[in-house]
Amino acid sequence: MILGILSLAPELSWMLIKVLVCIGFLMLLAPPLTWVERRGSAMIQDRIGPNRAALFGKIKILGLAHVLADGLKFFFKEDLIPKDANRALFWIAPALAFIPALLGFAVIPVGRSFELEGTTYHLSLIDPNNGMGLLYPLAIGGLAVYGVLVAAWSSNNKWSILGGMRASAQMVSYELGLGLSVIALFVTVGGYDPHQVILDQVQHGWYLWRQPLGFLVFFVCQFAETNRLPFDFAEGESEIVAGFHTEFGSMKFGLMGLAEYVHIIVASALIVTLYLGGWSIPFSRDGDSWPVLATVASFLAKLLFLCWVFVWVRWTLPRFRYDQLMHIGWKIMFPLSLINLVVNAWWLTR
Amino acid sequence: MAILVKKVQLSWWDRLYFPAVLKGMWVTFGHFIRQLLTPTSKRFTIQYPEMKKEMPEGYRGLHELKQFEDGSIKCVACFMCQEACPARCITIEAEEFSDLNFTQGYEEKRPKIFKIDMLRCIYCGMCEEACPKDAIWLRKDYELAAYDRLSLNYGKWDLMNTYAVTDGKPVQSEDNELPPSPPRNFVTM
Repeated sequence: MILGILSLAPELSWMLIKVLVCIGFLMLLAPPLTWVERRGSAMIQDRIGPNRAALFGKIKILGLAHVLADGLKFFFKEDLIPKDANRALFWIAPALAFIPALLGFAVIPVGRSFELEGTTYHLSLIDPNNGMGLLYPLAIGGLAVYGVLVAAWSSNNKWSILGGMRASAQMVSYELGLGLSVIALFVTVGGYDPHQVILDQVQHGWYLWRQPLGFLVFFVCQFAETNRLPFDFAEGESEIVAGFHTEFGSMKFGLMGLAEYVHIIVASALIVTLYLGGWSIPFSRDGDSWPVLATVASFLAKLLFLCWVFVWVRWTLPRFRYDQLMHIGWKIMFPLSLINLVVNAWWLTR
Repeated sequence: MAILVKKVQLSWWDRLYFPAVLKGMWVTFGHFIRQLLTPTSKRFTIQYPEMKKEMPEGYRGLHELKQFEDGSIKCVACFMCQEACPARCITIEAEEFSDLNFTQGYEEKRPKIFKIDMLRCIYCGMCEEACPKDAIWLRKDYELAAYDRLSLNYGKWDLMNTYAVTDGKPVQSEDNELPPSPPRNFVTM
């Protein structure tokens, strides 16, 4: 049936399918990720974790029912807006946090492009050679600052604004290292289209091995960009309550939480595409004969593993102090990415 | 004299930070795998309503008024526990015990009322210490909860039956008839 619809109006229907699948995938993967976070943290800390919620009072499925219970609870909670909050901004803030997180996924190819009846189908929302390539998710990632800052500002709360200011300063500082380490990669590839980047890695090997320093800087900066521990300066419950979302409740808070996890997924997808060979299958160079589904599976496996690494790191490292954060951002990550760029540029012109 | 605090100087290896991070991640990974592979019953967490902790020897929990094998009460209403109780939660009223039977050891006194207010009790075990007949024990049950205060005012029969289910013994009540006493013979030897 899908093939029938495809042959009728290939471009439109294929786009529709891709949008539905991609957004559905992100929205559906984020809640289980909260489960992974909670159960995984429990395992790391020798605890058991949430396992009490049960469907119809019986089916516990390892605590997965908690995900449903959480969602349901968010929907039915009172939607409270503080008296002195900026109402308009307060309403927009969760969307501002959520939508940029979601958008970044658009250019990531999740599998090998394939041909069917003379039409080439690409497994990324936006087709290759669109002129923005991987600059797009980086630009969109920069927009995520607004979600945090607007949420903090509109709450009219000292903790929120402190968290928001810290987080925005942090995100702006780490964008530098992020951008520079990626530039070194783009220079080596000779382009910034995701398909081009992946094909280059299929031929010459992953950038994880070819530019380990760049990978390290990019990886650390992605943690800062997603506001995850050890860089969760937007929150910091020990000093500023819940930071930028202190005043948010019900589904607004739910959306903020969802945005964080979608952000993790998109960040993982970016790392996979840039440094882990995207949908390519390891230990195999023959790019054209791979089954499409196998490439999708390969991409998903890498993606899920990286999502797990995000969780894993969070429950391993304590938070930095603010001055340490700035120190790492400006005096370590920024010079390292510069060195990486210069060395790679030298290597290319040699 | 001032105390010189020696500042910790990190070696270059430590200052690289990443080896330490990887080491830490290895540790957490080890914990993760270990916890994942441990069956639930062997983990540190005791999942309370389903699993219960075995209380240590000497734990002072809910009281039991001990009884003889035939079900008659051991307590002779001597008021020692009531006197010893620092929380003053024990109320005893004695009565004469006419239907003497063999296991009673020919005591002629027993409690008519023996009440312990579990909300007042501090579980210090002084009553157990004071009892000359070993008739009151503080045992290992700690699950005391009720919807109102009155129901935590345990009476004589409640106290005799607190561990009846645990020990698999018949529940005693006022209506239970004692087995017929053996013939009394005061002149022995």
